[in-house]
Amino acid sequence: MMNRRNFHKILLGTTALSFAACSKIDNVSTPTNKKRVVVIGGGFGGATAAKYLRKFSPDTEIILIEQNKEYYTCPFSNTVIAGINPIEYIKHDYNTLEKKYNITIIHEKVKKLDGIKNSVILESGKTITYTKAIVAPGIDFKYEKGYVEGSEEYAPHAYKAGTQTELLRKQLEEMKDGGIFVMVVPKDPFRCPPGPYERVSLVAHYLKNNKPNSKIIILDQKNKFSKQALFQEGWEKLYPDMIEWRSAEFGGKVISVDPINKIVTTEDEKVKADVLNYIPEQKAGKLAFDSRLALGDWCPVNTKTFESKLVKNIHVIGDACMASPMPKSGFSANSQAKIVALQISKILENKAVVNPPKLANTCYSLVSPTYGISIAAVYEAHTNNIEAVKGAGGLSPEHADDNFRAQEAEYAVGWYKNQMSDIFM
Amino acid sequence: MKKIALLFICVYSLSIAAEYDPIRGEMLALSCASCHGTDGKSEAITPYIAGMGKTNLYQTLLDYKNGKRTETMMQKHVKGFTDEELEQIAYYFSSIER
Repeated sequence: MMNRRNFHKILLGTTALSFAACSKIDNVSTPTNKKRVVVIGGGFGGATAAKYLRKFSPDTEIILIEQNKEYYTCPFSNTVIAGINPIEYIKHDYNTLEKKYNITIIHEKVKKLDGIKNSVILESGKTITYTKAIVAPGIDFKYEKGYVEGSEEYAPHAYKAGTQTELLRKQLEEMKDGGIFVMVVPKDPFRCPPGPYERVSLVAHYLKNNKPNSKIIILDQKNKFSKQALFQEGWEKLYPDMIEWRSAEFGGKVISVDPINKIVTTEDEKVKADVLNYIPEQKAGKLAFDSRLALGDWCPVNTKTFESKLVKNIHVIGDACMASPMPKSGFSANSQAKIVALQISKILENKAVVNPPKLANTCYSLVSPTYGISIAAVYEAHTNNIEAVKGAGGLSPEHADDNFRAQEAEYAVGWYKNQMSDIFM
Repeated sequence: MKKIALLFICVYSLSIAAEYDPIRGEMLALSCASCHGTDGKSEAITPYIAGMGKTNLYQTLLDYKNGKRTETMMQKHVKGFTDEELEQIAYYFSSIER
């Protein structure tokens, strides 16, 4: 028979249970005595922001939400495609961020952010409130001209690294000697402007050593490209007659594509590929649209803090934000992330933000494993725009000697090692 | 008299050194970490610059800026900063324990 004491016991038990359940599955509301910053996206932007926010703001609760447990970088993925490095070389995880920097890592998919309630809604329905949110959603593709969702299984874009990188590698390995590797490059703006041309260079390096009778055709949707003179100088020197670049104006413009049969129809002809690397046009990652952060294809932000111009308390960094003239690069995202972490730490302390913030970009490209070229710039954020500091930055010199190119190739590898440490370790 | 003049010059040169602003110094140094490692603690071919002497580092940066030293990359970056900003960067890295 249940007496009063037993009833209390059961009641207490139930309460304890429901509290435990709350903390595990239910919603996570902001603790009243603590500031919480939620970072969404664990790439160059998001992971850096989380780490540096801990450096600048030791007492803030930091939650990083990233759907994948492992992250494969786009930088250096071209070396994997060309068989120079194994896929593990570009694989990174969040263990150090979690343990060394006391960042709560949640591997779940985010449905959207609710800017009115300052909360993140996960696919599972769970919500997490924030004082500030940093969103780094990366890119998504515009499916077009016959390239639809699923086409990447036949004609990989390999423009998000991981399984796509491995698939393009496999197709290249299986290609016969004398085969044709066709790459379609989109119009600007897209992630990593020199990326496609570095890829072509390293694919040529692989083909030269393994399938020397093969050819590469680039169908470009533009009439010029990043580091063009430097790439073309390198191609002529290292891979004469192997790479044919067709500008949009002269035969490159794509009308339609048949990804399964690897046929690209241009204004002039049908190009049949043995391996087709189709890189579609791009826009901000889906989360940006679902959270009403995008205007057109990308997210407008306040240049000094990267706070969204459309939704308060959400800061958008990386490829998804409009930060022109900064290119959509991993280095840019890393540079923006640090500035945002610093500015948010000031805002949380009710202090003035650092003014004016300075940012930078450096992009190395490998024309071969021992032949590197680069472009760099320094930026200053003004009230309404970001400006490249005049007189600074620039490209590697044309017609430099082998030693100079070899040094830049070594610095490219050095950059990758230190950059990965700067983000994940 | 000569001694007094020398003393005057010393005091004057001290007074024109920029005062360290730790927040700006760190902010300006943030992008260096991408190639030189977090806080300049490089683990690769890129030089380790954490804990370098302030005067030495500042002079090196100025030399890159004025073309007295050239490298594949450094001059492109230092030209994006005023002398005072380079000095702040030098202060920052000199404040890091090696």
